[in-house]
Amino acid sequence: MSEKQPDRNNKIPFEEDNYTHNIRKNEERRLDRRTFMKTIVGAAGVFAVSTLPWGALAMRELANGGEKSYAKAAIPGSAGLRVGEAVEFAYPSEHDTALLIRLGENEYKAYQNACTHLRCPVVWDGGRTELVCPCHHGFFDPANGAPTAGPPRRPLPEIALSVEADGVYAIGVKRYEA
Amino acid sequence: MKRSWRGVLLMCLVLFLNIVFTQKAIHQYYYEHYVATIVYAALNVILFPIAVWLYRVERKVR
Repeated sequence: MSEKQPDRNNKIPFEEDNYTHNIRKNEERRLDRRTFMKTIVGAAGVFAVSTLPWGALAMRELANGGEKSYAKAAIPGSAGLRVGEAVEFAYPSEHDTALLIRLGENEYKAYQNACTHLRCPVVWDGGRTELVCPCHHGFFDPANGAPTAGPPRRPLPEIALSVEADGVYAIGVKRYEA
Repeated sequence: MKRSWRGVLLMCLVLFLNIVFTQKAIHQYYYEHYVATIVYAALNVILFPIAVWLYRVERKVR
């Protein structure tokens, strides 16, 4: 530019409004300061829209009023379960899978087995006596469902149980006490 | 040319708060703290006009 127009040489700033004379690389203006700010405005819009369904779900839950009621359901395969073994069942709806573990002679625990990180199914590792999420190696304590290692931060929701002569029954999902 | 980086830093703060509020809203929903979920969702919505306003103020800064 400066060789062809000696009269404009070394006059800084040049008489132009977009400062393109100081671009040193190809496509340098593709993510300049202003474009970055525009991108963040767009991202803020996307974040705002993406949290709206959660707000709507929360409002629906509030409108229904706190306590939920759960049907009592027999857990198939619970009668013959041995100590240290686990059985998978569906509760409270057929789309929510859960895991019943027999920890002791009269000690049963059941948790919804969708990992609280990204909802992979959590499995029972009888050898290590831990609940394991195979996707990102999250581990849960079978005594209380609390995460002990890996990415999950929230305990597994615990299912209230009723142990009867002919097997174990699921009677509800416990609320988080936190 | 001397640039002002104030707009970039403020926009980074907006993006950071967006990520935090989204994470909080979803976790509070699963913890069954529904009022907190609505508060965080509302904060996320409020950040959008703030971001637009920041962009308008900061785009012409030299």
